[in-house]
Amino acid sequence: MSSQLERLWGTSPLKSHYDVVLIGGGIHGLATAYYLAKEHGITDVAVLERRYVGYGGSGRNTAIVRANQRTQENVRLYDEGLRLWPKLIDELDFNMMFFNCGNLNLAHSEAAVSGFRLAVSTANFCNVKSELLDPQQCKEMVPALDISDRPYHPIHGGMYHEPGGILRHDAVVWGLAKGAYKYGTHIHQGVEVLGIDTDGQKITGVQTNQGSISCNKLAVMAGGYGASICEMVGMELPVHPLTIQAMVTQPLKPFLHHVVSSGAYHCYANQTLKGEVATGAHMDPQVNYSTTPTAWYMKHQAESLTEFLPCLKGVKFMRIWAGLADMTPDMAPIMDGNVMYDGLFIDVGWGYFGFKSGPITGKYMAEFIAEDEAPDILKPFALNRFLENRYMGETAGATNYGHWN
Amino acid sequence: MSFTITCPHCGERDVYEYHFGGRDRGPPPSQEDSGIEEHLRYAQFRTTSTEAQLEWWFHASGCGTWFKTWRNPANNREEKPQETGNE
Repeated sequence: MSSQLERLWGTSPLKSHYDVVLIGGGIHGLATAYYLAKEHGITDVAVLERRYVGYGGSGRNTAIVRANQRTQENVRLYDEGLRLWPKLIDELDFNMMFFNCGNLNLAHSEAAVSGFRLAVSTANFCNVKSELLDPQQCKEMVPALDISDRPYHPIHGGMYHEPGGILRHDAVVWGLAKGAYKYGTHIHQGVEVLGIDTDGQKITGVQTNQGSISCNKLAVMAGGYGASICEMVGMELPVHPLTIQAMVTQPLKPFLHHVVSSGAYHCYANQTLKGEVATGAHMDPQVNYSTTPTAWYMKHQAESLTEFLPCLKGVKFMRIWAGLADMTPDMAPIMDGNVMYDGLFIDVGWGYFGFKSGPITGKYMAEFIAEDEAPDILKPFALNRFLENRYMGETAGATNYGHWN
Repeated sequence: MSFTITCPHCGERDVYEYHFGGRDRGPPPSQEDSGIEEHLRYAQFRTTSTEAQLEWWFHASGCGTWFKTWRNPANNREEKPQETGNE
């Protein structure tokens, strides 16, 4: 490497006290650190990462971004997140390779078309572009689609969401780490949190494999491992850590110009700028902390993909990997503060949606941590909704994958 | 990850033959003595241990039996919790 090139971020001494400690060196933690410094002047911040930044879900997702969720509360948050990307890329002076290719969701039943109708109405009500397509229009958009009645689940229609797209997820992590470090955030890799210290009703610090660190405020932003960190203070959460697998094919000439996804086939795919088709599956159903892929899902994915994109028959998968999705019963995240203990903030339960919303969540969680008061946009995501029987309706979302679809 | 679960009738089989029934949390709180919050907590709030936990499994593609078995979600091995002698 040329000595001219500067490192994006550097190492910092591990202090024994920080104003704010963020657990998890992924998109959420780094974005929160960045906005804490940039918008609230809080620079005495440490991001603790057990492995290396971007090791977890931040570097394992399929990097799809969209704002066509089922409920207005979610659409508003994701929409603001979607509009933030170009601004963030400018601000950080780092190319995150935002490819605004649009998302096409396929419906394989009349019930799914009705679901799309509802989702399109919700999106339009929130001033988000989304439209319903018939099979012919889907075919015009993606000529490789098989809209005949040959597939087991024929295509009944589609929902096209123009503002969506994909990014390069590693670049997002690196850009945010660069930005946070520039403002003085200490990014500590290889520091694992082993325990949380409390004094009465207050959080006082964390125990790590490198010694104890005291802090005034602590935020858990550790993706799939967040719930197990909350367990260190005896906090039980409605969160299920589930393995989710993804894979890429060999590079092909450009043929797929949009993200295509199908609920019935539990399958979503996009062609990356390198030409590979990146595709993800549904979650393994049993809770676990493993990130080992399985042959079962590779077969499932090959079968599903070639049903609606038959031109992919014979194409080889090059790589397969897995990450953790911390799924909640209503498929919406939990963002809360001063919960159980003063100074304890949680940003968990993102399931497989954590990437889309990373920077915007960081922006609002930073505000939450700085002001000690939940910003209006985050209020519906409080933990208490699960104890008041006010579940969000995301499980009924037409873009989600489950046995209900 | 792919692993095996041992059915009491069919023996050790691939996990994809089964449906996962969740951690065994004992009987639900009684209707008379508890409120909605306790029921909601029972239904959805749970810990996923990084040590062995007792779980329900259903042999869907096999004999159709619901049974309980110990599994460690950290490594997906069927193992009983280690005797610590402290409990």
